[in-house]
Amino acid sequence: MKMKTWINIVILLILIAYSIFSLSPIILAVINSGKTQGEILTNILALPSNFQISNYVTAFEKIKFVRSFFNTLLVVVIGCGGIVFFSSIAGYKLARVKTKLSNFYYSLFVFSMLIPFHSIMISLVRIARVTSLQGSLVGLGIIYIGLGVPMAIFLYTGFIRSIPVELDEAARIDGCSDLRLFFSIIFPQLKPITVTIIITNALWMWNDFLLPLLMLPNSKNYTILLSTNMLFGQYGNNDWPAILSVLIMAMLPAVVFYMILQKSILKGISEGALKQ
Amino acid sequence: MKKSNRNLTLFILPALLFYAIFTLAPAFGGIWYSFTNWNGLNPNYELIGFRNFEMLLKDKNFINSIWFTVKFVGIMVVLQNVIALGLAVLIETRLKTKTLFRTLVFMPNMISMIIGGFMWMFIFTRALPMIAKMLNMAALDISWIGDPTFSFIAIIIVSLWGGVGYLMIIYMAALQGVAKNLKEAAMIDGANAWQVFKNITIPSIMPAITIGVFVTLNNSFKVFDVVYSLTGGGPGRSTQVIAMNIFEEAYSLNNRFGYASAKSLILFIIILVITLIQLSIMRKREIH
Repeated sequence: MKMKTWINIVILLILIAYSIFSLSPIILAVINSGKTQGEILTNILALPSNFQISNYVTAFEKIKFVRSFFNTLLVVVIGCGGIVFFSSIAGYKLARVKTKLSNFYYSLFVFSMLIPFHSIMISLVRIARVTSLQGSLVGLGIIYIGLGVPMAIFLYTGFIRSIPVELDEAARIDGCSDLRLFFSIIFPQLKPITVTIIITNALWMWNDFLLPLLMLPNSKNYTILLSTNMLFGQYGNNDWPAILSVLIMAMLPAVVFYMILQKSILKGISEGALKQ
Repeated sequence: MKKSNRNLTLFILPALLFYAIFTLAPAFGGIWYSFTNWNGLNPNYELIGFRNFEMLLKDKNFINSIWFTVKFVGIMVVLQNVIALGLAVLIETRLKTKTLFRTLVFMPNMISMIIGGFMWMFIFTRALPMIAKMLNMAALDISWIGDPTFSFIAIIIVSLWGGVGYLMIIYMAALQGVAKNLKEAAMIDGANAWQVFKNITIPSIMPAITIGVFVTLNNSFKVFDVVYSLTGGGPGRSTQVIAMNIFEEAYSLNNRFGYASAKSLILFIIILVITLIQLSIMRKREIH
């Protein structure tokens, strides 16, 4: 019995230690974002004597938070919308039609999941320039559709295979066309996998840095990460209170999103991964 | 049959179109440019055979970046999976605090590694030196970002910080699928906790381990954000990873797109070969 309590305490200590490690950058950033430049130099661990809200007001303006936020959101909405719409109808036919052509299409999509982004990056930027998608938020969203459909098609096809075909057949006897059948009968049943696909893709696009960096040269179109990166470059690593308030603000949307949707996010990750 | 194929193509067409333009075409484009001397500024370029690849063999910076990335990947595959599995096992023993710990450990995964890297830079350049002085601990008072070895350690620490939570979620899901009666039967036969873990838990979660290693391999070879924000590849080029070397070649130094494409083709081949080997070895070990 005594041995068991000891083990229990050790386990608890390990978990607490790791949790502190996990949270320390965020906590330190929050504490120090409210300090003055002078305070930060004297003691980093102490709480600010008087929390400088003004740091946040400046940060809010400096990274053009509202604009950057809606820029990022626009990209995510276009990307997710397109990925869900195009992948679900494609996945439906891939799951139902069993021909050589269908197998070919499926392998074509799945194969590309191994191609690293950096291997297509250079040509992709060129294509974006030729099609004048470069420099446009809508263009960036459209490109994300092209990059995101393979994974989504893979997940949708697997999911639809588990829906009984009898449903389709009954609807077809009632004279339902293919497209109507899909939208009125199949699509509503895809809700769980659709939620997973939206969450994983939204997180990917929201936190993606390199593609926006290459696609959006104009600061008017900057996403939150691009604005943050630009500001960091300006401040060097000197004005830490200012930088830290910017960082806290930049990560806030993702953290709030996590707090609200934690269950679906974690479920989506374990299911999405274990299906591969 | 023919009608169903026509319908199939109609339904797939929109997805295929986007995919062909933004993934397939640039993938083939990348291969094509690898054999050219295209430099981005000049619209004219010509095929130069394997000359780019010959140049690669002598490109010290590129070869160093490959070695650095391989070292990084090796350490990450081991540490990230061991820590994630360890935490998953420990958290699964908690009853009331399970959700709390899971939330805290996973949290960094939600934050972009660009932001994470900047926050850690504050810790490495400001907080740790100050804490070291306060506690009189010389071991902490090092130039984390200015020294090649410590920069490497810093990159590992921050990557683990960001990546462990994701794998932990996968391992937690897998652990919940381990048959309880098997474990209990082994316990009754006198097996201790370690034996149960080694002989029952590990074999049962082998598919999850395969995925965990696959995910780490794939992501670590492509690592970019954390290095960009934390060290910028420095000091010098000592922490430059492959992705960053390609980026530098194409966009920040000399716009040698053809040559950079050849580098990116090498990256693709490395990832392809290693993941295929990994999957074929590990799939064999799984119980079917």
